[in-house]
Formats: sequence, structure tokens, C-alpha cells
Amino acid sequence: MLAGVASAALATACSTTPVPSAPAKPAEPAKPAESKPAAPAAAGAPTSAPAKPAEAAKPAADAKPAPAPTATPVVEAKASGNVSGGQAVKLTAWTIGPDAPSFYRRDNLIAAADGLNAMLEKEGSPQRVQVEATFESGGTWDAFKQKFTLAAEAKTGPDIILSGHEDLAAWSTAGYVVGLDDWLKKYEQQFADVYPSLWPAMKYKGKVYAIPQDTEARPVYYRKDLLAKLGWPKEKIDGLPEAVKKGEWAWPDLVDTAKEAIAKNVVEPGKGWYHRSSKGVDFYSWYYQNGGQMQDPESGNLVLVKDALEKYFQLHMDAVKTHKITPENFIGTEGKIWHETVTGGKVLFANAGTWTWADWIKTYKVPEQQQWDNVGFTLVPAAQKGGKPVTLSHPLVYMVTGGSKNQELAFRLIAAATTPELNSKHSVESAHLAILKSQEKDPTYQKDKFLLATGYMSEFTTFVPNHPKFGTYDEIIFRLLSAVEGGQMQPKQAVEVATTELQAQLKDDLIVK
Amino acid sequence: MNRYSTAIFFMTPALLMVAAFFVAPVVITLGMSLTDMATTTGLSNWQWSGLDNYQRMVRGSFTLLILGNTIFYVVVTLAFNVVMGLGIALLSSHVEPHAGGLFRAIWLLPRISPSVVYALMWTWAAAAPPYGVINQLVEPFGVEGRYWINSDPWLIVFLINGFVGASFGMLIFTSAIKSIPEELFRAARVDGANAWQIARRITLPLLRWPILFVLTYQTMSLFASYEYILLTTNGGPGLYMTEVWSLWAFHTALSSYFGNLEFGYGAALAAVLVVMGLLVSFVLLRIFRFNDLVSDPRIEIT
Repeated sequence: MLAGVASAALATACSTTPVPSAPAKPAEPAKPAESKPAAPAAAGAPTSAPAKPAEAAKPAADAKPAPAPTATPVVEAKASGNVSGGQAVKLTAWTIGPDAPSFYRRDNLIAAADGLNAMLEKEGSPQRVQVEATFESGGTWDAFKQKFTLAAEAKTGPDIILSGHEDLAAWSTAGYVVGLDDWLKKYEQQFADVYPSLWPAMKYKGKVYAIPQDTEARPVYYRKDLLAKLGWPKEKIDGLPEAVKKGEWAWPDLVDTAKEAIAKNVVEPGKGWYHRSSKGVDFYSWYYQNGGQMQDPESGNLVLVKDALEKYFQLHMDAVKTHKITPENFIGTEGKIWHETVTGGKVLFANAGTWTWADWIKTYKVPEQQQWDNVGFTLVPAAQKGGKPVTLSHPLVYMVTGGSKNQELAFRLIAAATTPELNSKHSVESAHLAILKSQEKDPTYQKDKFLLATGYMSEFTTFVPNHPKFGTYDEIIFRLLSAVEGGQMQPKQAVEVATTELQAQLKDDLIVK
Repeated sequence: MNRYSTAIFFMTPALLMVAAFFVAPVVITLGMSLTDMATTTGLSNWQWSGLDNYQRMVRGSFTLLILGNTIFYVVVTLAFNVVMGLGIALLSSHVEPHAGGLFRAIWLLPRISPSVVYALMWTWAAAAPPYGVINQLVEPFGVEGRYWINSDPWLIVFLINGFVGASFGMLIFTSAIKSIPEELFRAARVDGANAWQIARRITLPLLRWPILFVLTYQTMSLFASYEYILLTTNGGPGLYMTEVWSLWAFHTALSSYFGNLEFGYGAALAAVLVVMGLLVSFVLLRIFRFNDLVSDPRIEIT
């Protein structure tokens, strides 16, 4: 009984007393942005989109433009066409953006049904798959993951779940998702094309639990027009990515340039550098930039490098308090405001994902040519001249659930969705980087100059760890970063609190260096 | 027939409800709090962990901070709710009845609005410059625009909860004022009492029990409430600046950005909340001598 009603009981216990001042049922948190900053509704955009439960998948070539996302999640369902003949097997999948242009995460699974059915027919199998998949835009990761966790416990989850790679550690330990090694061997030909650098992020304790759906980089975007106003010649502006790549132009140069822009009234105070305004993996770029390490390759334990953490805190505090290139009270700023300020050309440097490039064009209606004219992108500069620049990738992955009654078919559907054609459509629509080597030669991918121009960033990328307690680790680091930026704590003190608290919470799962 | 049979007959449905929706969840929560149940264990591979979760709570660097936040939140919001509710009830009862009714109806709007809509309206109103209704209202007076939810998070939390909570007190107090015999007010007016004297000498003394009820009920409710905080500041900004105990339990057990929900530890936090609530209600009922309210009258009216 304890197990059966536990989560429901806990929810009840959190609000045991009727709440006159506030109705008891919590709703979706109104956080502005997620691991990939979610874009709220553009002006005049519809605030809801009706679900279409049985609409047949259209060929990707005539795919509809991305629906405008909203602050609250819009869940849109689609299904593959009815199967004729054979024994119909229904497969379900839950996917999420939250950025609206990433709807191919759903549509590619639906489109793959035909290919898989053709293979099944060829093999003489009586089975035919029928796919129902949902795509959630504008929502939050917390709510999406909570929904899946509770559904998995209630045995009402889907056959395939899409999420961040780091979730596979906790979810595989719980049995919510299953190991894929046996099927990977059986169908290895279909995955031979995946970039080898992505596989470590798919593993936990040596076993593969996920198939990459996409990857990306998190560049520093810079305004070419504002740098020109500062007197930078065109060659220097266009050569900035190369200078950063070589370590010739480092973080102190970015800070100095931002300060100069403020001093010369090219941008307002606080608009020299915008980092992400909500929780997410992006922040770890600066921890890595300063020599941080997150996971011990031998033991798999989480790692805290105190010196790197202090530099990471110091960098953020200096940006707000000393240099004033980032605004006070910045963390928590609504995503819509963040994006509108940046796309309005008011911020000199801003950190976001590659997918944000597409989001600005599609959701914030920035004309593409104008964006190319005014916005450039580069790696996060090295901490010091001569150092190595950095970026961070957070591959989203498909996983087969423990509750699925058709796990092998679910795996084969993912395999059928992992093709250069389908992945390239997703990459181009949503500005995510390739996961397959053959995408480099795919005509669709080849036409996208943004993807081609950012592809090199994968060589400099880092990942967050696959560890079941990474959520606890991140919660403490993020809250302390917020405290440091808010002036509640000095960096050194924050490092001590982080160390004490992480040691208390993670015990043997943490190595402090 | 047993002399208690009628009482048992009428009390049984309520007792069953309490057993099913309060006692059972509390017992299960207490049980869960002694386990390591989390996403990583699932609901089938958990193990008893004794008092580990409680020890972790005691050792935690942020426990006292969040406890302090909780007390601060409850006390200030409660004061706002009761004083504002009482003020509105008194004012609206002493003006022309239609105007008073309209005034109260306006104050009910936050309560009848869906909580998510109400919270979203606040987040928009308190948005960062150049947005936000509050900024547009205060900037003409020379107040610099700001992102109110981050710069003054407690103010927003108190207001958003207070405006809803005040209407509860307003309704209770207004009905209590209406039930005071009209003769008392007439006699006071004949004796030359002004509105303040009537309120001070007649109305307030007769509102003791409604005030007790509102105070006790809202204290308990505020201990368990976190929805508006979740929907606006989400416990931030900075280091758990507005994180209250119930929100901490929710975040721990049911909302994890990176997927690992800690049901056992969250249950321990919720269990402490239940104990806190029971203790505070016991103290309040003792202070206000609740037994007097429910005791038999000293005189018998025939």
C-alpha cells in the first residue's frame, strides 16, 4: 500500500489543510526558460493550439511552420496513418521543445512509422506500427519530467520518452528506461553513422540507455552593429570567432569591450553581457572555462573543483556588481523580456543556444538577413589569453521506457527516425547541430549556412554528467550562484557553503578537489 | 439503543473523510519519511532508512533559513490578511449598503479568479522595465522601474497572498458584524457615539470569536500554501529568499529540473510541516481559549 499511494499521498500531505488564501492545486511553474530558453508567445500569436489526435503525418517537405509557443505548455498530438493489414501495434511517444521549432522531435517518429512498417513487411513480420506522439512547446522541463516520472510509476507512460541525456542516469536506476546495448548490437548498422563523441553522453555505468536525437552548442552571440559603433573595423568584427577559437581574444577582452560600450553609451548599463536568466546547463560553460570538472571518469562520481567554482562565482559577481555589464536582479527575468531585449539590438553580448538563432527568426520575427547582418556568434572565450575556448552541449535523446510492452519495436522506430534526411530537417528547422556524420553531406543540411558555420563548436564542447544525483548538485550550485549575483554571499563563502552542503547531501558520490 | 448511536451516525461520514484524507496521508507520509524512496529507487526498490532524512534536514545548510522564511511569511501575510479583512469589513459595513456590497464584491475578484490566471497577472504587472503595469504607474512619480519580483520579492509575495486572503477575513467579519443586533448600534448612536467609537466599543469586542477563527484557519492554511510563491518567485531570487517549508517539500519531492525526485526526503519535510501545523494550532486554540467558545452557555434562555 505504501508504494502504491506514495506519491499521491505526498502531494496530499504537502497541502493537508484547506487553503483559503490559495487554492491547493499547484499549477505549472511560470519560469521563463528551460535548459533551452523557452520562447513565450510572440505578439499576436495564438495562446493555445488545439490537439489534433489523429492527424496523419505530413511529409516533412510541406511541414507547417512552428506554432508560436506560449508561456504555458501547449501539447499537440499527432498520429501516423492507419495501418492496413497485419497486426497493428500502437506505439506512443512524448516529446518536448520547449522551443517551438523543435516539433520534428515528434514528427520524425511519426514519419519513421512508414519506413519501419516497410522493413517489417520485408521481414515477413505480421506486426505493423501505428505511432501516436505528442510535442510540448512553451512548457517547462520540471513539469514535463514530473509528468513522465509519475506516469512511469503509474504504468501509464509512453513507449518512447524524449528528454535531456542527463536524465538517463536517474531513470535507468529506477527502471523507467531500459538498456539498449543488445538492440544496438542487433541493429548496429543503423547507428554506425552517429558521431562517436556523442555516445559517452548516452551511457551510465558503461551501458547505453539512449539514442541521440540532436545536439547543439551554446555560443556567445554578439552585435556586429554595436561593435561597429565602438569603432571596430569590419575585418575585426568578422574575425572575432577565429580570434576566440585561437585563444587570442579571451574573457577579459569581452568584459573590457562590454564596459567600453557602456562607457560610450553604445549600450545601456547592464546590457553589456546577458547570460541565461533561468536555471539550466549553460552556466557550466564558465565552470569548465575555469578548469572545472564535473565527473570523475574512473568512478563516475560527481566532482567539485573548488578553485574553478570560486572563479566561476567571481566572474558572475564581477559582471553584475563590479563591471555592471549584467543587470542587477537578472536571474529570474522572464524569457520573453530576455529575448525581446536581445533581438531589439540592445545587448552587446548574449549567451544562448544554437537553436535560439532559429527561434529569433521564427518566433521573434527578426528578418533572417537582418540577423545575419547584425549578429555574429563565437565560442565562449577562454578564461585568459592563450587558453582554450569552450561551449557546452546538451544532447536531447530518445529513450525506450521500462513500461513499454513493445520495447524492441520502440527501439526500431527510433532507429528508423535516425536518418540523415529526418535529422537534417529537424536540424535546419530548429538550428540544432547534426548527430550523424552523413548529415554533413545531406542537401538539406548543406544549405543551412548557420549550421555549417557553427559545426566547428562541437570540437570545443563539454557535457554535464550522467549521474542520478546531478539534480541535487545543480540545485545547490545554481542557488548559490543566484546568491552571489544577488550580493547575498561572497564567492569564497559560497564555495565553502557549496562544499559543505554537497558533501552532506551527496556523501560518497562526491569528490572535492 | 446506545446513547451515542445518533452521534455516531452523524459523525461517521465526517470521521471517514478525515481518516481517508488527513490521517491516512499523514501516516503514509510519516512512513515514507523513514525511507530512501526517490526516482532512483522507484516505488518498488526503496529501503527503510531510519531517521536519515531527518538527520539530513538538521544538518542542512539551508534548513534554518527556510524555517525563518516560513515564519516570516506566515506572520506578515496573516497580519495583512486579518487587518485588511477587518478594515474592509468595518468600512463597508458602515457605508451605504449598496456601495458596501460593491466594494466587497471588488475585493472578492482575486479570490474568484483562477489562481494561475491571478498569479500570471501579477507576474505581468511586476515585469521588468520597460514592461510592467507597476513600473508604468510608479515611474511618473520618479520611482525607478525595476523587476519587482526579483528586487522586492517578499512585497510581491505578501501582496499576492494578502489580496486573496483578505477577502476571506472580509466575508467572515462582515457576516459577523451583520449578526450583531441592530439595537446596540442604535442605542450607541442615541448616546452620541461616532463611527470609530461604535467600532471600538461594540463591533470589535463582539468579533473576538470570528477573529480567532480567521487567525487559526489562515495560519494553518498559510503554513501549507505555496502556490503563489511557486508561480511568481519560485522560492527565489538568490539563495532561497522566498522558499517556504511547503514549497521546499514540493520542490524536493515533486519538482526536479534534472529528474531525480526525492520522495522520502520530501515526505520528511512534509511530516515536519504537519507537526508544525498541529503545534501552532494547539497553541493558538489555547491562547484564544477555544474551549470557551464551544462550552455550554452559563445562562439558559427559555
